[in-house]
Amino acid sequence: MSSEQFLNVENTLFTIAMAGYLIAMVLYALFFALKKEKPGKWAGIITTLAFAVHTAALIVRSIGAGRLPLSNQYEFATSFAWGICSCYLIFLWRYHFRALGAFVLPVVFLIIGYAAMQSKEVRELMPALRSNWLAIHVSSAIISYGAFGVSFAVSLMFLIRRKMPDSAFWQEHIPDEKRLDLISYRAVSLGFLFLTFVIISGAIWAEHAWGSYWSWDPKETWALITWFIYAIYLHLRISKGWKGKSAALFAVIGFICVIFTYIGVNTLLPGVHSYA
Amino acid sequence: MKKFTRFFFSMKFALILLGILIIACVAGSVIPQGEIASYYMSEYGQSGGGAILAIGLDDVFHCPWFVALTVVLCLNLIGCNIIRFPSLLRRTRNGFTPEKYLSSELSGKRVELFRSRDPETLFSKCGFRKLVKGQTSDGRSYIYGVKNKAGIWGAWLCHLGMLIVITGFGLGQMKQVKYAVYGIPGQTKPVEDTQYELTIDDFEVTLRDDDTVEQYTASITMRDTKTGEEASGQTSVNHPCTLLGMRCYQNSTGWAATVQIWKDDELIQEDVLCAGEYVNVEDKEGLTVMFSAFYPDYIRDKDGMPMTASSRMNNPAYLYRLYYQNEILGMNVLEGKEAITVDAYTIIFKDPQSYTLIQIKRDPYTWLAAIGAVIMMAALILAFYLRTAEVYASRSDDGSWPVSGYSRKGGADFVDMLQEKHKELEGGNVSDEQ
Ligand code: HEM
Repeated sequence: MSSEQFLNVENTLFTIAMAGYLIAMVLYALFFALKKEKPGKWAGIITTLAFAVHTAALIVRSIGAGRLPLSNQYEFATSFAWGICSCYLIFLWRYHFRALGAFVLPVVFLIIGYAAMQSKEVRELMPALRSNWLAIHVSSAIISYGAFGVSFAVSLMFLIRRKMPDSAFWQEHIPDEKRLDLISYRAVSLGFLFLTFVIISGAIWAEHAWGSYWSWDPKETWALITWFIYAIYLHLRISKGWKGKSAALFAVIGFICVIFTYIGVNTLLPGVHSYA
Repeated sequence: MKKFTRFFFSMKFALILLGILIIACVAGSVIPQGEIASYYMSEYGQSGGGAILAIGLDDVFHCPWFVALTVVLCLNLIGCNIIRFPSLLRRTRNGFTPEKYLSSELSGKRVELFRSRDPETLFSKCGFRKLVKGQTSDGRSYIYGVKNKAGIWGAWLCHLGMLIVITGFGLGQMKQVKYAVYGIPGQTKPVEDTQYELTIDDFEVTLRDDDTVEQYTASITMRDTKTGEEASGQTSVNHPCTLLGMRCYQNSTGWAATVQIWKDDELIQEDVLCAGEYVNVEDKEGLTVMFSAFYPDYIRDKDGMPMTASSRMNNPAYLYRLYYQNEILGMNVLEGKEAITVDAYTIIFKDPQSYTLIQIKRDPYTWLAAIGAVIMMAALILAFYLRTAEVYASRSDDGSWPVSGYSRKGGADFVDMLQEKHKELEGGNVSDEQ
C-alpha cells in the first residue's frame, strides 16, 4: 500500500472512532439524565470499540508516515484524546466506575474534534524534530495529560457531588467523596510522575537540539506552571482541612493549564515550540 | 522568633511561594521578555511600560526578586527536609513494629477487616515478605508485617532532587560560557576571545527527494592555541559533539558567497562573505560592499520583495548593498552573471555555498542538574508506587485471625486489595466479613 492509501484508511478509522466517541458521549448523558443502566452499559462498550478503532487509526498512520504520530497539532491532538481514553479505560477497569465516562467522554470528544479541524497532512520533519528524546517526551506527555484528564473528570464529579440529590442510583454509580478523592489522587500522581518525565526528557532534547536544557521558552514555562499547580494539589491533599474540595479545585485548574500549555501557548504566545 | 521560623519552614509558606512563582511565570510567558525599553512603552503605554520596567517584568526569570524568591523556596525546602529527617530516620529504624502498630492512635489500624484462617499465606500473597510472629501480653499469637518502608522517603528525596536541580541550574547560569562561530569549509576562526580556534573542515546539507532538509552536518576541529592540543568531530542537529571539554552544536546555517573586485580586467581582491557581512574595497578607501542575502531560485513575491521559490539552484541571485563613506550608494539584486560597476571597479558575486553556525558551550554543572532529575524521578516512584503498608492479625479464641491493615498512602485501595486477596484465598463464605 502506498502511504496515501494508508492515510485514507487512517482517515476512515479516525472518523469512525470520532463518531463512536460522540455516540458514547450521548449515551453517557442519557445514562446520567434518565438514571437507566442500559445506556451506561452500551456507552462503555461503544467507548471500548471506538478506542480500539482509534488505536488502529494511530497504528495505520504510524506505518504510513514511517514514524510515531506525535509531531504536529493534528497528530498530537488525536494522540492526546487517545491518551485520555486509555487512562479512562484503565481507571474504569480498576475501579469499575462507569459514571466517570459521562465526564471524560466530552473531554475526549472535544479534543478529537479539535484534531479533526487540523491539517492531517504528513510532513517530513525538520532536523531538530528528528530525535528519539522528542518521541519519548511527547509519548510521556500523552500519558501524563491523559491521567490529568481523568483526574479533572473525577474532581469535577467531586465538586458537583454534594449538589446532587441523594438517590440510590447516584449512590450506586458515584463513589463517596473519600473514594473520589483517592481516585483523583491516583490519577494526579500518575500524571505528575509522567509530567516530571516530560519536563526532564524535554530538557534533554532541548540540550541536544538547541544547546540549552532550560531557556524559559513559554511552552517550557507553562509546563512548569502546570507542574507547580499539581505540586500544590499534592501538598493540599496532605494538609488537613484543605483536603477534598480545595484539592479538587486545583486538579480542575491544573487541567485547564494542561489545555492552555497545549493549545493556548502555540496560538497565543511566541516560542520555539510554535511549530509543534 | 520561634513562630517566625516555624512559619518560614512550613508547608503553608511553601505553597504561598509556589503561588507567587506561578504568577511570576505567567507574567514572564505573557509579556515578551528581553525587549528594549521603548518596546514596552509603545506596547503597554507610558505607565504600563514604566511599571513593567520598574518591577523587572521585562526579564522576570533573571530579575533579583525572582532569584530571591527561588532562594527563599530553597531555604524553606532545606529547612523542611532538615526538620523531617530525624523523624523519618527514627521511623525507618524502629517505627514499624507490632508494638508501635498497636499503640497507634490511628483508627484505621484498629478496624477488623475480616477474619482469616491463614493470615501468613494471605500476607505473603499480598507482598509482605518478612513477617514478625510473637505473643501479645495476654498470650495470643500474632503476625505482623510491613512492606515498602522506603516509601516514606519518597517526598523527602523528591525535595532533595528538586534542590539539586535548582542548584545545578543556578550554578550553570553563573558559570556557563557560550560562544558562536560561523564559517564555510576551510575557514579557521578564533572562538571569540578565548584561546581556542575552530576549523570548519566540511559542511554538508542533506536533502530529501522533496527538497526538504534532512540534516545539517559539520565536521570541525577545535584547537587550543596555548597547548597545541586539538580534537576533531562531527556535529549535526540533535547530535552535538564534545571537543576539548566543550559541547559543539550545529545551530544554524545561511548562505555565503565569494565576492570578487576587478579593476581593468584584473582581479584585485577576493573574499568569502556570509550573508550580512561586508568588505571594504582596499583599492578605494570608503567603498564598502555588503552581501545581504542569496536566493537560489529567485522570484519576487506579490509585494515585489525578493524571495526564493525553492532550494534548487534554478535562478541564483544576490542581494547587495553598496556604501561610500558610510552613505548608501545603492542596493539591488544581481541575477545570474550580472555585475556592479562603480567607476573603474567591477564587483561580482559567485560560488554560493552554505555556511554553518556552530554554537559552543561549556556548562560545568549540567551533570548536577541531571543527578537531581534522576533522584526526583526515583523519588516520585517511591512516593507514589511504593506505598508503605502494614498488616496485623492475632489469633482469637475460636481459632480465626481478625485481620487489620493500614496504609496511609494506599488508603481504601490497600484495604480493598487485602479483602480481594482474602476472598481469592479463602472464598467469601469462609470468613465472616465485617
Ligand atoms: C516545587 C517544589 C516541590 C515539589 C515538586 C514537591 C513535591 C512533593 C511530593 C511529590 C510529595 C509527595 C506527595 C504525595 O506523596 O502525595 C511532597 C510531599 C511533601 N512536601 Fe513537597 N514538594 C515541593 C515543595 C515543598 C516545600 C517547599 C515544602 C516545605 C515546607 C514541602 C513539604 C512537603 C511535605 C511536608 C510533604 C509530606 C511528606 C510526606 O507525606 O511524607 N514541599 N512534596
